[in-house]
Amino acid sequence: MDFSEQEPTDECLVKAARGGDDGAFARLVGRHKRRVFTLAARFARDADELDDICQDVFIKVYDHLSAFRREAPFEHWLTKIAVRVCHDALRSRRHEKHHTSLDGMAVELPDCAVDSQSEVRQARQFLKYAMSRLSPDEQLIITLLELEEFSVREASAATGWSEANVKVRAHRARQALKRVVEEQDEK
Amino acid sequence: MKNNADMRLEQLLAAAREERIDTGSAEEFFETRLLARIGELRETPSWYALVWKMVPMFAVLAAVVAISAVAFNPSRKSDVFAAITGGQEMTLAGNYLTGE
Repeated sequence: MDFSEQEPTDECLVKAARGGDDGAFARLVGRHKRRVFTLAARFARDADELDDICQDVFIKVYDHLSAFRREAPFEHWLTKIAVRVCHDALRSRRHEKHHTSLDGMAVELPDCAVDSQSEVRQARQFLKYAMSRLSPDEQLIITLLELEEFSVREASAATGWSEANVKVRAHRARQALKRVVEEQDEK
Repeated sequence: MKNNADMRLEQLLAAAREERIDTGSAEEFFETRLLARIGELRETPSWYALVWKMVPMFAVLAAVVAISAVAFNPSRKSDVFAAITGGQEMTLAGNYLTGE
């Protein structure tokens, strides 16, 4: 398909990709990969896992192109798939989640921060540790609502949970996260 | 104490929210890697997909076997042994079940 004259819409690229045009699919990927990488980076532990998650997302997209309906924008559909793949990644590591130790983290968190940069870095590190102590559902909802700043409606659409369920899970997740912070403060 | 934890949590979340994750290097040549993997997957279909593709073939095979078994099975009446023992089957079964 020739797209040289004007920028094709996502729908055009999807249609071409469905017909077996790999170039159109690559273009679609190039257009949306930043969004997927940014979201997946919140869940991935390292660069390899990030690459794996993103590849899984786009392979799912490729396999299910025929299921894409034009009722919603392509980006919404893609985000939904990305959120589900990230959720699966969290669930698959459920058995190893207690491997990170609080003691190790406490050593890395001195009382007097040298500068604000390292303070922020330590805060992020501690949050990562605290998040690793939550269940996959809790990690997912905190990441979507608090870090990625999804609205309740967007989170509901992305996860497939009802809006009431999203609110309840978010409240519980926040409480659980707060308990981890309190535990750390008590030490 | 509760307020402290709330504040601390808010600070932690704000710090993480502000973090601009640079995925630029990870994104390099992503399309190439992805298309290569899709190509591999196309060339080597999974066992699961293969089994699903073979389901109609097995169904047709089972139907052919069933039809041929009915159509070409020699009648039991033409079997001498079956003709002799045919009438005794019920008597034998009754004897076996009643213990005689």
